[in-house]
Amino acid sequence: MAALRSTASALLGAAAARPSLRMAAAAPAAFRGMAQLADAAQQNNTASENANLKTFQIYRWNPDQPSEKPKMQSYTLDLNKTGPMVLDALIRIKNEIDPTLTFRRSCREGICGSCAMNINGTNTLACLCRIPNEDKADMKIYPLPHTYVVKDLVPDLTQFYKQYKSIKPYLQRDTPAPDGREYRQSKADRKKLDGLYECILCACCSTSCPSYWWNSEEYLGPAILLQSYRWIVDSRDEKTLQRQDALNNSMSLYRCHTILNCTRTCPKGLNPGQAIQSIKKQMAF
Amino acid sequence: MASVARSSLLRQVATKSAFQKSVIVNAPRAAFHTTVKRDLLPPPPQRVVGTVNDAAPIPPTSPSHGSYHWTFDRLVAASLIPLTVAPFAAGSLNPTMDAVLCATLLIHSHTGFQNIIIDYVPQYRTPRARKAAIWGLNAATVVVGLALYEYETSDVGLTETIKRLWKA
Repeated sequence: MAALRSTASALLGAAAARPSLRMAAAAPAAFRGMAQLADAAQQNNTASENANLKTFQIYRWNPDQPSEKPKMQSYTLDLNKTGPMVLDALIRIKNEIDPTLTFRRSCREGICGSCAMNINGTNTLACLCRIPNEDKADMKIYPLPHTYVVKDLVPDLTQFYKQYKSIKPYLQRDTPAPDGREYRQSKADRKKLDGLYECILCACCSTSCPSYWWNSEEYLGPAILLQSYRWIVDSRDEKTLQRQDALNNSMSLYRCHTILNCTRTCPKGLNPGQAIQSIKKQMAF
Repeated sequence: MASVARSSLLRQVATKSAFQKSVIVNAPRAAFHTTVKRDLLPPPPQRVVGTVNDAAPIPPTSPSHGSYHWTFDRLVAASLIPLTVAPFAAGSLNPTMDAVLCATLLIHSHTGFQNIIIDYVPQYRTPRARKAAIWGLNAATVVVGLALYEYETSDVGLTETIKRLWKA
C-alpha cells in the first residue's frame, strides 16, 4: 500500500496522496488515467528489467448488460509497486486501471470475511492470499462458485444469511444465572468453543461443498452447521435439544457426506467437517 | 468538506465514463470458457422464500429421515464387514449366514441409492421425478430381493458363487 501511495504521489504531485483533495480536484480520473497510461508505456519500453509483471484474469459480469456473457478480463500489474496480497492487487487495479471492477472488501486482515472469492481454483480470502512470486502464471480470480453473482466478484449471499438466521445464532436461556451476574462457564467448557467461535462466515467453505452446490435451498452447508454446533456445545445455552431437533431431518444436516472440501478451503484454518461430524455423533443415539 | 467532495465526485462520473471506455477497450480480454453446454437441468432463477430478512424455513423434525436413518446406515455398513469376511475366514458356507449377508447388502444398497436420489433429485425442484425415482428404487429393491431369494433357495447362493468365480 505504501508503494502504491508513493507512486501515485510521484505521478500526481503531493496533493493526490490525500483522498479529500483528490476528490476536489477538477478531473482526477483523467489525471489518474494519464498516469496509468504513462506507467504502462514505461513498463513496455524501458523499465522492463526491473518490473515484476503479473497478469490477473478476473471474472467480469455486469448486471446492467444482462445479455452480455460473463468474461475474463486481464490486468497486468508490476508487483514491485503492489502490496503482497491479492486484495492489494485488486484495490490497485480498481484505483488505477479500471474503476468499474467490483468486489467486496473491508478489513484487509482476514477478520471481516468480505473478500471471499475463488483465487486460482481455491476459495479463500483475497486479503489472506499471497500473490505467488515464484511463478509467472496468470492468477485467475472468480466469485465464489455456485453462487448467484450480483456483479463481477460480488456473490449474492442472501440464502446463506437466511440460513444463518434460521439456526438462531444467539444464546437461548430461560434460567437466570445463580448469582444474578454473568453466565459462568468452566475452562473445559470454554475450550469446546475454540475452533468454532473464530468462524467469520465468509462462505468459503459452504460454496466449496458439492452437496451445498446441489442443495443450497435446503442443506445448511458447513459454515452454518459449524455455527449451529457452536451453540449446541455452548454449556450456557439451554435449547440444545431444540437446536438438534431443527437439524433432525433428511436435508438440513444429513446432506453432508464428509467430502471435507470445507476443511481444506477454510482460510481461517477451522474444521467445519469435524463440527458436523460431532453434531451427527451427538444425535446418533 | 464531505458535501463539497461529493458534488465534485458526482461531477466526475460524466468525465470518467468516456475515459473508462478507452481503458477497458485497451485492456486485453480472454474469452470465458465453459464446458459444453447441455442444459439438462438448467439452474433455476434464484428463489428467496419470504423476504431477505426472514430466516430460512426449518423443516419438521423427523428422526426416521434424520438421525435414526443415519445411525441405521452406519450400523448396516459396519456390520457388512464381518459378514463379508466371516464365511471366507471360517471356511464354512452356512446358508443362514449367506441369507443375512444378502439381506444386509440389499438394505445397504437401498439406503445408498436412496441417498443419491435425495441428493440429486431435489424434492422442491423436481417433485414428480423424485417420487418416480423413489418408487423405482423400491421396485428395484423388491425385484433384487426376490431374485436373491430365488438364487439362495434354488441355486448355490452368493458366497459359493463368489468362491467359484474366484477360483475359476
